[in-house]
Amino acid sequence: MTGVVQAVAPPRTKRQKELRRHLLVYAGLAPFVLIAVFPIYWMLITAFKQEPDLYRMDNIPFWFNLPPTLKNFEILFYQTNYGAWIVNTMTISAWVALITLLTAVPAGYALARLRLPGAENIGITIFLTYLVPAIILFLPLSRVIATLGLQDSWWALVVVYPTFTVPFCTWLMMGFFKTVPMEMEEAARVDGCGQLGALVRVVLPVSLPGVLTSVIFAFTLSMQDFLYGLAFVSPGDQKPVPVGVPTELIRGDVFFWGSLMGAALLVGLPVAILYNFFLDRFIQGITGGVVK
Amino acid sequence: MTPASLSGGPEPAARAAVVSVPVGATRRAWWRTHSAQRYVFGYTLLAPAALYVLLLVGAPFVFSLWLAVSDANVSDPVARFIGLENFRSAWEMETFWIAFQNSVVFLVVAAIFKSVLGTSLAFLLLQQFKGKKLIRGLVVIPFTLPIAISVLSWKWMYDSQFSVINWALSRAGLIGGYGSPDWPIWLGQPHLALAACIAVNVWRTFPFSAIVLLAGFTAVPLEVLDAAKVDGCTFMQRFRHVVVPMIFPILMIGFLFDTVFTLSDLSVVYLLTQGGPGNASKILPVLAYQVGIQAGNLGRGAAIALFLVPLLFPALFLVLRNLKRREW
Repeated sequence: MTGVVQAVAPPRTKRQKELRRHLLVYAGLAPFVLIAVFPIYWMLITAFKQEPDLYRMDNIPFWFNLPPTLKNFEILFYQTNYGAWIVNTMTISAWVALITLLTAVPAGYALARLRLPGAENIGITIFLTYLVPAIILFLPLSRVIATLGLQDSWWALVVVYPTFTVPFCTWLMMGFFKTVPMEMEEAARVDGCGQLGALVRVVLPVSLPGVLTSVIFAFTLSMQDFLYGLAFVSPGDQKPVPVGVPTELIRGDVFFWGSLMGAALLVGLPVAILYNFFLDRFIQGITGGVVK
Repeated sequence: MTPASLSGGPEPAARAAVVSVPVGATRRAWWRTHSAQRYVFGYTLLAPAALYVLLLVGAPFVFSLWLAVSDANVSDPVARFIGLENFRSAWEMETFWIAFQNSVVFLVVAAIFKSVLGTSLAFLLLQQFKGKKLIRGLVVIPFTLPIAISVLSWKWMYDSQFSVINWALSRAGLIGGYGSPDWPIWLGQPHLALAACIAVNVWRTFPFSAIVLLAGFTAVPLEVLDAAKVDGCTFMQRFRHVVVPMIFPILMIGFLFDTVFTLSDLSVVYLLTQGGPGNASKILPVLAYQVGIQAGNLGRGAAIALFLVPLLFPALFLVLRNLKRREW
């Protein structure tokens, strides 16, 4: 046994070095992971704790002191509009995704592929509107919503959310269409496809990942909004989850922390995970393709 | 690939010419020419998106300028022009200046913490180690979780009595028990309230800074660094003269995006403190919301929101310049 160890001694020191480096990196990362994840862990455990367990200061609060419970979720679904909010959120996002696709995909294609005069400037202008903050637009938009008769219904959000998804996704699709080889389209044209035919039959199918990415962003970016939902939708049963939870479940000074945290996580976590997978695309999008 | 080959070069036109010779290229009306058809097709595809943006971003922006110089309010739909009255009255509001100051403090303090945390995290994530994907995924969760949702967690952690932060501090012996004078009430004490809101913003966006930085670092080709090394550059020289200039544009963009989002976001402060106690943590977006929607004074609310524009304008300008330089 000892003989073997001696024989492999040099690689082992190398491995030790490697191990030490790993440990150092992990030690450096640990506080970051802790800071990033603790609030989420805290939500998770609060959601499954019994009410009295939340208010005991003499116990260690990081684990269950009373058996975990699903009661908080029961309250959520039976005594609040939570179910309706989930349906609202999904319906709003689906409409927003649809509108975004129908506008951003053709626009991205036109700007990237058809060598239109002024395409570059038009593209930049559309993208820059993504940077016009909601806080400047929400007062005039409230007038628009009132004129359309959509105040106090989630349809208002279907109208306003594309104001940020369309610019972002147009930009995203522009970048995407640029990576599709021009030859494919030319081949299709030679084979007798019209301009539209080449787009629909040849370019779109190979750009499916890009189209899917746009749909994901239409969903995730819609979920990041709070201001528009807060300002435009006041009936309790019309709100999307990120607005309904903090505004309807908190009434006065009585907090149902368990239900609140459950409500927040049940929708927030899937969105966070989904967004996680597409984060690099988001960064690529906003840095304007500086990074390839 | 050269730009010519990317955009198809001259071949399509040439091919079109060959095809169209029998028809007689010269006799065709201008709207039937190849490029005219392409333009019509292109602008038709572009129209829906352009119209959406024009009608629901462009027009409202112009409309907000009009609101700001009118006496529009929720109860009276007929607005009259009142000049710069709204700006003047905002200017004379004490709360406005408190909110303005808080906004600037918020932006600067948060930016400092974000850049320190973001840079350190980026350097750590630059290393090769096992489980990198998982750790990266965990660390960016604060940024990907919808903000209105994660703020709730913080509201609970900042609870006046059952705050887990205070519990930990108290157990560590750093503060006394509940009720003792040094027991911090995070959202109820003027200076702490603003700091607590800033902390949440930093928590949410430091992963964003790190990822943007990381994207910048990975954009620096290793060959360039090696070449600099061969030429005898020290680490600091390589960093200063190679890495920084190469990642500068992307850093700038990340920084500017963050400025825009931090300055214009109201959800953290609104959900944690509503700007309180008193006006201690009030920032401009919260004030604009309270004046414009809650008090129904659309004109003055719009004017307050527009005070953000001079703060945002340099950001927009720099982003624009940067985007203009991107490869087409």
